Amino acid sequence: MARVVVLGGGIAGHTAALHLTRMLKRSDEVVVVTPNSNWNWIPSNIWVGVGKMKTDQVTFKLGPIYKRKGIAYEQALATAIHPEGGPGRPGPYVEVTYTDPTRAGEHGELEYDYLVNATGPKLNFGATPGLGPDGHSYSVCTSGHAVDAAAALQGSIARMKTGEGQVLVVGMGHGTCTCEGAALEYAFNVEHEVRQAGVRELADIVYLTNEYELGDFGVGGLTFTQQGFQTTSKLWTESLFRERGIRAVTGAHVTSVEKGVVHYEQLDGSHSSLAFDFAMLLPPFRGVDLQAFDSDGEDISAELFAPNGFMKVDADYSGKPFEEWRAEDWPSTYQVPRFPNIFAVGIAFAPPHPISRPRKSPSGTVIAPSPPRTGMPSGIMGKLAATSITEMTKHGASAKVPSGSMADMAAACVASAGSGLRHGSAASMTMYPVVPDLAKYPGTGRSLDDTFGEIGLAGHWIKLLLHYMFIYKAKARPGWHLIPE
Amino acid sequence: MDNTDANIASAPLPTANTLRARKNLIIQFGRFLAINTKMLKIIRKEHR
Repeated sequence: MARVVVLGGGIAGHTAALHLTRMLKRSDEVVVVTPNSNWNWIPSNIWVGVGKMKTDQVTFKLGPIYKRKGIAYEQALATAIHPEGGPGRPGPYVEVTYTDPTRAGEHGELEYDYLVNATGPKLNFGATPGLGPDGHSYSVCTSGHAVDAAAALQGSIARMKTGEGQVLVVGMGHGTCTCEGAALEYAFNVEHEVRQAGVRELADIVYLTNEYELGDFGVGGLTFTQQGFQTTSKLWTESLFRERGIRAVTGAHVTSVEKGVVHYEQLDGSHSSLAFDFAMLLPPFRGVDLQAFDSDGEDISAELFAPNGFMKVDADYSGKPFEEWRAEDWPSTYQVPRFPNIFAVGIAFAPPHPISRPRKSPSGTVIAPSPPRTGMPSGIMGKLAATSITEMTKHGASAKVPSGSMADMAAACVASAGSGLRHGSAASMTMYPVVPDLAKYPGTGRSLDDTFGEIGLAGHWIKLLLHYMFIYKAKARPGWHLIPE
Repeated sequence: MDNTDANIASAPLPTANTLRARKNLIIQFGRFLAINTKMLKIIRKEHR
């Protein structure tokens, strides 16, 4: 009998747990450890953030799903990994602190044969003074944050209805943020809402981003063919900004947020301030506060985790310069080299380097998007870890495990630009591979056949379809596993 | 110097016909099928 502990119940962890319980033998055990009792379809939080959806439309309780699927569920926060066991304790285990209200604060230790680290990000609002719900800006990272953002946005719309102009700032709250696509979606949904409310002329909407140029999306931008020409996501995105009358500030690192004012530094070294009435600024991510110890109790966190707190796996972390980056630098099995029974998937694994070209301001401030690894790639990695563990339980540590590098992984992304079955709009995009492979695809690094983008109402329908389809899948309804990641 | 707003001002502006096509239910239903087909191709590649 094998015991698999999955840390995290987000897209990667939940996908891994569901596939594990389907693939493993009945005698094997799957345990999910997650501090939150709810699952959240995060891509739809932007609709909660403009008041178009309620929290219960994007979240559900994990407990009943796990009970039905025979998955042990521990509502707890993982705090330390002991991959070699500990003094007087031969097997590996994880330390947890319970967040379950009935056991809040209790300490626990969970032994494992295989560990999947899918802990996702720590929302690092503290990296920028004044950033976030405890400061002076809003967020849509959680459904709760999005509810607060929607209420504040409605307040601004109400003031506009009395004739008062409003500056609405949407974007990234730090120079190293990721998920630019989500911020862009929110900016266009805000524009859609104020237009629907009939007060568009009173809203000055500004998209504030760490991207070097619009359309970078943290993947170095896209090139695709359109009407017989190669075009770029830069031109395509700028066109959308022009059409919708949204201003943009690029290459920006937010240095601090005060009540009604955001301060930022740009790649040219300039420092500026922007007064706002409403601001939704995403935080940078870092790994969760998880430590690792060897059998003697010595701290080996530096071996297992990168300085940003994400877990080091089978990637090249030698810190090569941009010109020497290769597709092969990216991990393919997501196993920790010295402990192949530990996998880190989704946001939890440490990328070897960014995908967009890294840039610094003259004062040395890093202003470069971190690589995105949410959504479809997260789900694929979760399933990959489940498949690998299943093979290892059958054939031992020498089992041949599948590979799935982001440099050989496709992604489909639908960025909403406004909701509504008749008046909605979204940008539908696909890319292959996520990490450009210039050796395989000279020029753009990606397949022009498999990389495309298109704007229209159809995109909104697809995003809505994905919303219902992935919640159905996450609830493990009949045939769930037939829905691809 | 940040040229982003200048770049936006000179970006291609969709014509009224393009904007109508992006909202036209019949055209968009066709695009819905076409985009889904493209996405399924990507997904098949992923799950091969």
